[in-house]
Amino acid sequence: MWALRGLRNGVLTTRWPARPDDYASATRGPATVLAPLTDESVSLDGLCPTGAISREGGAPLRLDQGRCIQCGRCVAARPDVFGWTSGPGSAVLARPALVVPPIPETTERLAAIRDDLRTRTRALRRSVHLRHVDAGSDGTEEWEILALLNPVYDIHRLGIFLTASPRHADVLLVTGAGARGMTEPLRQTYEAMPHPKVVIAVGTDAVGGGLVSPSYATAGGVGDTVSVDVWLPGSPPSPFSILHALLLALGRVPAQAGDQR
Amino acid sequence: MPAATSAVLAASVPELWDELTSEVAAGRRFADLFATPRPGGLLLTAHLAGPADITTREAMLPLGAVGYPALTPRLGAAFWYEREIHDLFGVIPDGHPRLEPLILTAAGDPGILPSHVAGPGLFTIPHGPVRSGVMESIEYLVETPGEDIPHLNMRVFYKHRGIEKRFESMTTADGLLLAERAEGIASVAHALAYCHALERLAGTEVPWAAALIRAVHAELERLACHLDVIVRLADGAGLAVATARFGWHKEQVLRLVSRLCGSRFGRGVVVPGGVSRHPRIGPGDLLTAIGELDKRIAADLSLLMGTASFLDRLRRTGPLRPERAREHGALGPVGRASGCTDDARQARPYDAYGSLAVRTASRPDGDAMARLEVRVTEIAQSFHLLRQAADELAEASESQLLAACDPANGRGLGWAEAPQGEVLYDVQVTGGLIGRCRTRSASFHNLVLMHEVFAGDILTDFPFIEASFGLSIAGVSS
Amino acid sequence: MTAYSAVLAAGLALLAVAAVADLMVGARRPRLLPMPYLAGAAASACLSVAGAAALAGRPVALRVTGLLGSGTVGPAADRLSGLFLVIAFGAAFAVSLALASWAAGPARPGRRGLGASYALALGAVAVVLTARDAFTLLFAWESLTLAFYLLSGYERARAGRPAAALVTLAFGRISGVSLLAGLLLLAGRSGSLTLAALAHAGPGTLRSAAEVLLLLGFTVKVGLVPFQVWLPRGYAAAAGPTRAIMAGVAVNVGFYGLWRTLALLGPPPGAVTGILLVLASLTAVLGIAHAAVQTSLQRVIAYSSVENSGLILAGFGVALVGAATRDRGLLAAGLLAATLQVVAHTAAKSLLFTSSARMEAADGTDSLDGLRGSVRLRPWSGTGLAVGSLTLAGLPPTAGFVSEWFLLEALMQQFRVPGLGDRLVLAITGAAVALTAGFAGVTFVRLIGMVVLGKPGSGGGAAPRDYGLAGRAGIVLLCAACLVIAALTPLEIRVIAAGLSPILPSSATLGALKSPWVLQPVFADFSILSPSWLWLVMPALFLVVGLVAWAASGSRLLRVRRVPPWRSATAGVSGPASYTAFGFANPTRRVLAGVLHTRAGVRRIDGRRPGWESAGSDAQPAADPQSPASRPDEVVAEAVHVGYSSDVIEVVEEYVYRPVLRPFLLLVRLAQRLQSGRLDAYLAYMLIALVALLAVVTALH
Repeated sequence: MWALRGLRNGVLTTRWPARPDDYASATRGPATVLAPLTDESVSLDGLCPTGAISREGGAPLRLDQGRCIQCGRCVAARPDVFGWTSGPGSAVLARPALVVPPIPETTERLAAIRDDLRTRTRALRRSVHLRHVDAGSDGTEEWEILALLNPVYDIHRLGIFLTASPRHADVLLVTGAGARGMTEPLRQTYEAMPHPKVVIAVGTDAVGGGLVSPSYATAGGVGDTVSVDVWLPGSPPSPFSILHALLLALGRVPAQAGDQR
Repeated sequence: MPAATSAVLAASVPELWDELTSEVAAGRRFADLFATPRPGGLLLTAHLAGPADITTREAMLPLGAVGYPALTPRLGAAFWYEREIHDLFGVIPDGHPRLEPLILTAAGDPGILPSHVAGPGLFTIPHGPVRSGVMESIEYLVETPGEDIPHLNMRVFYKHRGIEKRFESMTTADGLLLAERAEGIASVAHALAYCHALERLAGTEVPWAAALIRAVHAELERLACHLDVIVRLADGAGLAVATARFGWHKEQVLRLVSRLCGSRFGRGVVVPGGVSRHPRIGPGDLLTAIGELDKRIAADLSLLMGTASFLDRLRRTGPLRPERAREHGALGPVGRASGCTDDARQARPYDAYGSLAVRTASRPDGDAMARLEVRVTEIAQSFHLLRQAADELAEASESQLLAACDPANGRGLGWAEAPQGEVLYDVQVTGGLIGRCRTRSASFHNLVLMHEVFAGDILTDFPFIEASFGLSIAGVSS
Repeated sequence: MTAYSAVLAAGLALLAVAAVADLMVGARRPRLLPMPYLAGAAASACLSVAGAAALAGRPVALRVTGLLGSGTVGPAADRLSGLFLVIAFGAAFAVSLALASWAAGPARPGRRGLGASYALALGAVAVVLTARDAFTLLFAWESLTLAFYLLSGYERARAGRPAAALVTLAFGRISGVSLLAGLLLLAGRSGSLTLAALAHAGPGTLRSAAEVLLLLGFTVKVGLVPFQVWLPRGYAAAAGPTRAIMAGVAVNVGFYGLWRTLALLGPPPGAVTGILLVLASLTAVLGIAHAAVQTSLQRVIAYSSVENSGLILAGFGVALVGAATRDRGLLAAGLLAATLQVVAHTAAKSLLFTSSARMEAADGTDSLDGLRGSVRLRPWSGTGLAVGSLTLAGLPPTAGFVSEWFLLEALMQQFRVPGLGDRLVLAITGAAVALTAGFAGVTFVRLIGMVVLGKPGSGGGAAPRDYGLAGRAGIVLLCAACLVIAALTPLEIRVIAAGLSPILPSSATLGALKSPWVLQPVFADFSILSPSWLWLVMPALFLVVGLVAWAASGSRLLRVRRVPPWRSATAGVSGPASYTAFGFANPTRRVLAGVLHTRAGVRRIDGRRPGWESAGSDAQPAADPQSPASRPDEVVAEAVHVGYSSDVIEVVEEYVYRPVLRPFLLLVRLAQRLQSGRLDAYLAYMLIALVALLAVVTALH
């Protein structure tokens, strides 16, 4: 009975990244600065609840996407200055690269980091196993990671699998703001994984602590507990963004996703 | 909207306990117990839920008092609440049967939990805190002789984020953002409860169109959560096609939500006083999408509820006895599957639910099968409510979506029926900033019942019991 | 007297010397304690040589007529006796070496008597195997029963041992009585006491009844259902490696008796064969079911003896069917399978009991949970335990694998049997044997995983150390027997064929050799196996795979990073965090709940609510008698302590013996009234008995 039911609606799986996907292109990513602004017309009071937007001296306005919880307040207040990024390509290989507009030095370093990551994951290119650790998330990032297994995204077609034990895992997905209770378990999981391993910080909470930091119970992200290779902002990041981050970690990102990131 | 909360202050803590126990014996449900530091000491506040509203009773624990007589020996439902107060504020409830750290451990070393079952060959299997799938961090310590589960221990302090402390000194606008992220899969419900608290405080009436949009998002969230439970149950039973199809349905629900408001979880929609903007698709398109989803999901649900091999795994698995559920005041589908009939949308209606026809789904058995049946009924009912709300939206002439709601001082109590059960928010505002915001999620209230539902079950039943509870650990350890 | 007869006599004499030495010296001089056992080892060597000579056809006989009374002849060994002499005393040699080492160690016997009992047992075995007439056989049989009683009751200070010794004695007597009745019936029929003459007793119900009684007596000895209840108790109660003497060496007299009965009297009436097969399959299943769930190491090994008895008797049953239907191939297949299993069982059981003699935790118990990781502390015993377990689990390339293969192949020949009843019974037995083989795997995996492997627990300081030189030699010999015999199976089959020649010509048995190194189950074109090739191919494959892995990994195979085992990053649990031996057997307890009558229950210990709430499948949860108002002990279940227990019961004891026990004890109490202790009462009894005897004799004339 179920076998026939499964054929009822045809093929549901997206062809991304081989072919473009409408929903993927329409995915809302973190906020971004539309035009570099050096004037003082933008008041920063109460603009960003996490303090992602900053301006230093004569420098232009900067927005740290690693602290953006996608609340939309800045976009609603100044739609001429701030806007949403769309598309799944918000993951980066170095934390400073999440600050927009990008600083030129970080772009050069990114190329070196990408080559190093590519060498490290050479053996994992075609078949890779994921392990997930929740270090104090709010539950939505887990849903988005689990969504990768449903027939719409179906990461098995890309040779990516979820595994139950860190001993078999190549990639560690960490979500959550770094709750202090999970520091030791996270470290143990990281130690239990064999080399080569890649760590992806999934979600703004993991990248920069999100809205729940600063707090007595969180560490402001997981960057201090494990060495993170890929930083993925978003609250929560959509499944396409997570998939893009995975492919970036494996060096399989298609060329048109942009070379800077 | 009923008037703002008025709290009844008892003379002393024992007197407060007397009042609570007599009210509970008279039929009200114990809903919450928490502490607020005040200049004069520690203020203990309790909420009791009745057929039409929720009342508040308080007592002050004087400054310098180290302990107080525990409520748990008299009112068992306060078991975890008193442990939470002890962890966060350090006061000791004398006579509490088990005062180990629940949500916060001292000095980062949790220590070893003493074993509870004696017998030959018993050992403890730790499940967690790093779980074997993509799940939230919680540690289940199963004391077992090999197959049976005579006892289960839980340690929930791994994910504690200190949300309640973070609320302090935030603006009410930022507080709404934090409320959405307290229990992420019930974002809309938490935002609703928070906004109801502020609206009650300010005496604001939400416009009709906004109330309908709120109801639409709340019901879509309920659909997503119930479909997630079904996906986990089907995955546990190994029904690959069912898992895939219901995963697809849940994805379609989330995509519909993102088409409506830009966020897959309905964030940024509910604001104090109404909603932030019109839905991005019109009521007609919404009705079409809902109709398609309803047809597909109903067809798959009827096949699932006829798959005998799947239902066999759920029948008589993890039974929660109706007396226990009633004593404890179990919330949400867990309580309704064990005979309780309390549904905040029907008993204490808010927003548009007073005018939409809400029927409470209830079952007497209390096993995992009953919890699944309650959720299936609620899915059908959610579609019914969605259609009603979409129809009404199409006819709603006014386009005002936001009423003024900017309270500077005061205290309000708000509630909403999340997919896991009733969520309570007690918000105290001082000078436009939040002084204390108590979030009580249904997961925190219900999770303690997992100790009691293992009657003759074996290790392979554990995933079904956990999935059928459908709780979010983020709400437990917040 | 020929040379080999002298060797036989020398062996018996050495055993007498050993007994005397032990009784004289006792435990007074610790340096002399191993002496009886070394003498016993020499005696075993002599007896094995004598047996080998008998197998080769040399005359081995002690012509001592009338030593035990008129009509008796001295012991002599023909080929069948020779075969069993080689099997039994080959193992006894290795076990005696281990006993010598054990007696020199800290667990030495505390007083005299153990060496004497040991020598008595070995002597009795030797005489039974070489008895030529009924009286010598019975005399030796009763001596063996006495020796078993003394061996199992040696440590009578420990709990449960006296009862075990009594049960052993009781069942030994039952087998003795049965043998007595059978042999006397036959002797009356044939008019002579010699075994060869018994074969000529005329056919009829008397002969069938006698044969049944003989079979009964021998199967009580090996432990057929419902007589298996004494095996676990008796074997587990003995001290140290003497268990190996009882379970590995002496049990072969039972099998020898069965083989000899077949040789002398032919197959029993048809129904008896069917009953024997059914009982054998029940024995095998019951034995392994209990072995899988025991918590004590000695009991696991003892119940495995029950299982192996079932397997051997299943093979014997096939042989009986073949004899009844005059199918020489089936007879050969059955007997060959049974004898191969006897060889494998002797080697493995001796090895297991020898290795487990040193396996005691520091607190003196031999619970499996307390013996984790023993191979670190006692490498020789641990390895012996591992090899013995692999053999009894029937894993290649051990001798147990070959024998189980032969047994299953023999049972699969059931389609050649003409009668439907026989075919059905053989099919059922085949299914039961296959089930047994599966659960044997579970049982011995638990043994190896929990006892041999694993991390050693705390408190290993006071645990007994491993064997000395002699013991290690013994264990090495037995391990070699388990493994090398498998590689040399064609040679073994030739030896067995020679030994079975009193029953069927060796050409029939040699039909199992398809080619010099390939075996078949006597019937051609059915199936083949080559354990010798297995011994070459298996290590070669391991080597090849290892080399490929090493080459493909670029020699990174040997770079190892050690991290703590993954326990889902828990902060720690009190007590064991991984499967205990009890927990490992729990699925077996549940799956075989029909056979084991498992009862599991949970109850509150703190006294607030006494009584049981059965959480098993055969009971409903107890109704809550408390009021519905909030009861804090309901909610605060964590604070109330809970006790869990799970029991299995022995179905045969429970349903066959326990109902009989009460009327039996009543009878005993009535009989005790006769023992008034008054002299005039006893004189009156003698007078009454005399008068009754006179009356009967007068009436008969």
